[in-house]
Amino acid sequence: MQGLSRAWGLTPLRGVAAALFAIALTLGAVVPALAQEQEIKVGYMKNPIQDASLDIMEKWAKANNVKLTRIPMAYSVFMEKVTATLTSGADQFDMIWHNDDWGQLWKKWLETTDDVKGLENADPWPLLAFWNDDHKLTTVPMAHTVGTFFYRTDLVKPEEVPKTFEELVSVSQRLQKEGKVKWGYVGGMSMNNTWFSFLWTLWANNCDILKPMLERDNEKLKAARFEPALTEPCHREIVEYWWDAINTHKISPPGMTAYGRNEANAIFMAGDAAFTVVDSTHFGEFSDPKRSKIVGKVGMAPFPVGPRAKVPTSWNEIWGWAIPIGVPAPKKKLVKEMLAAMMSDEAGQIEMWKKTGGPPPNVKLWPKLAAEDPDFAALKHAVFDQTPITHAAYYFAEWPAVHKAYSDAVIAAVSGKREDIAKVLEENVEKVRRAGLGTN
Amino acid sequence: MAGVANPMAGFRLVAVDEKKRFMLALIAPAVLVLVFFQILPILTGANASFRDWHLNDPKKTWIGLTNYAYVVRDREFLNVVLPNTFGFLAASVAASLIAGLMLALLLNRQFPGRWLVQTIVLLPLMVAPVIAAIMIRWMFNDQFGIVNVILEAFGIAPIAWLTQKWTAFFAILLTDVWLWTPWFALLLLAALQSLPPEPFEAAQIDAASAWRTFRYITLPMLRPVIVVCVVIRAIDAFRTFDIVWTISGGGPARATEVFSIYAYVEAFQFLNFGRGSAAAVLGAIIIVVFAMALYRLLNRWVEVSR
Repeated sequence: MQGLSRAWGLTPLRGVAAALFAIALTLGAVVPALAQEQEIKVGYMKNPIQDASLDIMEKWAKANNVKLTRIPMAYSVFMEKVTATLTSGADQFDMIWHNDDWGQLWKKWLETTDDVKGLENADPWPLLAFWNDDHKLTTVPMAHTVGTFFYRTDLVKPEEVPKTFEELVSVSQRLQKEGKVKWGYVGGMSMNNTWFSFLWTLWANNCDILKPMLERDNEKLKAARFEPALTEPCHREIVEYWWDAINTHKISPPGMTAYGRNEANAIFMAGDAAFTVVDSTHFGEFSDPKRSKIVGKVGMAPFPVGPRAKVPTSWNEIWGWAIPIGVPAPKKKLVKEMLAAMMSDEAGQIEMWKKTGGPPPNVKLWPKLAAEDPDFAALKHAVFDQTPITHAAYYFAEWPAVHKAYSDAVIAAVSGKREDIAKVLEENVEKVRRAGLGTN
Repeated sequence: MAGVANPMAGFRLVAVDEKKRFMLALIAPAVLVLVFFQILPILTGANASFRDWHLNDPKKTWIGLTNYAYVVRDREFLNVVLPNTFGFLAASVAASLIAGLMLALLLNRQFPGRWLVQTIVLLPLMVAPVIAAIMIRWMFNDQFGIVNVILEAFGIAPIAWLTQKWTAFFAILLTDVWLWTPWFALLLLAALQSLPPEPFEAAQIDAASAWRTFRYITLPMLRPVIVVCVVIRAIDAFRTFDIVWTISGGGPARATEVFSIYAYVEAFQFLNFGRGSAAAVLGAIIIVVFAMALYRLLNRWVEVSR
């Protein structure tokens, strides 16, 4: 090397300068090529449906020389993490997963999406959760997420599927007595899993968390000072129903108050329970032979109803994609183009349903899909065709706090003595109200 | 002019020679990391605790001690969170110390396969607490958990461990003790191996029993190490978050909520970042006072034993 340096007349300092010059020349040639490829960073939850939706967008990204970077986060911290990112103005994400469960938490921090092509094919009902104060939309649907009553077709004939809460107990007990299953019903019950036990039965009993019942107009809820319905007879009946299901009738496992959806799904997929309620998007898991022992033995039906209802109340919501407001305008345009491509990719959406059980966001595909696919036809009958319909969350910013306070209240009530249920619910009214008013 | 001080005098006082400048340059990266990743976040959090700072709508207006007043008046904090935190701290530190000391005494003896036992004992130190907690959560699952399988083999009815306060607490405590016992064992073993042999030889000549040797020679000589271990571990146990969050989420309802979960729930579930920060600052004050008191108390115990 020394000889070479001498030959070229290089001192060490000159050598360094020459090397830097060479690097600069190389970078100069490479950087423009790299600059042509744009990047879209996506903050999402690692889930088959979200990955399938991103796969649809990946096709567009490749065709348009865009790099799609997936940044997965756990569900248990997603809302907290993304809220902190949005409000701090960090530019970590160009697109994020948005869930109706978080109400209007991010309405100030998201770009409006009304101008995305293909939205005219989306169902307007679930979009209510995503309007901002100017009545502009802040999301583009990815897939529908609907609570679905699943049953084991190898154990229960369609005409035997329970239509009331009472029948859910009696059919479960019969199956347990015959030794066909260990448990009748299993569903998530812990915080953030209340939909799969308390909430669906609440709505199926014409009841709700706040008064007026089944009201989602924030002005009306505010006028009623976010009055909790915890002490209403219809509410107490639901908490008592679950207490009895676990302790008296023993159709549900004793550990259910601590179950998340993963634990409940594990029991159902192991073949140990006859019925469950979970988002339809888990149908893909139930049909996966690597994970499930009940492949091909799962049917869907409308919810059983409580003593105060005559027809089932279903809910129909979506998961969506949203754009943080702080994303630069050219990048926002790019993301919207990608979302429009996803909305118009009919084959991709049908593929997503087939692979994961995520119903397509383009509802015009549904009749065609129902005609071709008996599973989709069953889901359509069990959920989408049912009336009345409700929203599975509230859409004000304090909803996550209300949900936490409510969840603590009902879990405490089910975990205690049956005779104390009314007292525990009464004790928690103020906490839930304060959470709604934002003064907790 | 005689009374006017030389303005350059101060500069001379802080003037540093080349050696010191080199030393300062060496520690500068560590100081920068400390400032940007420890001190600034703490100051930001402390600043938030005096403000109306909701995560979804950060107005950041100054509200003085309102957040602190809420936390110290909150019945949940006083009646559930603080007793849970100190109960957990006491039980976990005591159990880990006793188990760690027993293991250290065992490993201090010569026996075949000692290196293998030593390696196995230290394994939990290499497991991330969240992984351990997920494992324990499934082990204590009422349907699939190995714990209930063993109980049933002995004719004991299965238990829904995570649905009641004390059984859930037991699972959390077991995880923490399992994770921290090797840490105690490692430090106490090092201390044991550094003890001078003479007192033990004298005890042997006097035909002292193993218990009396341990009680009157080993334990007093280990006390300084035990004090340091207990104080460090107590501070760490006070801020335990991951295993409680993973195993019980602070539930059922809020029955197993400890201090760090309370701060997290306030900040990130009730979305009141200001109040969560106030809880965190209060927790920091409590643990500093507690650690100082504990250190003094244990130090006196060491002094008395000399």
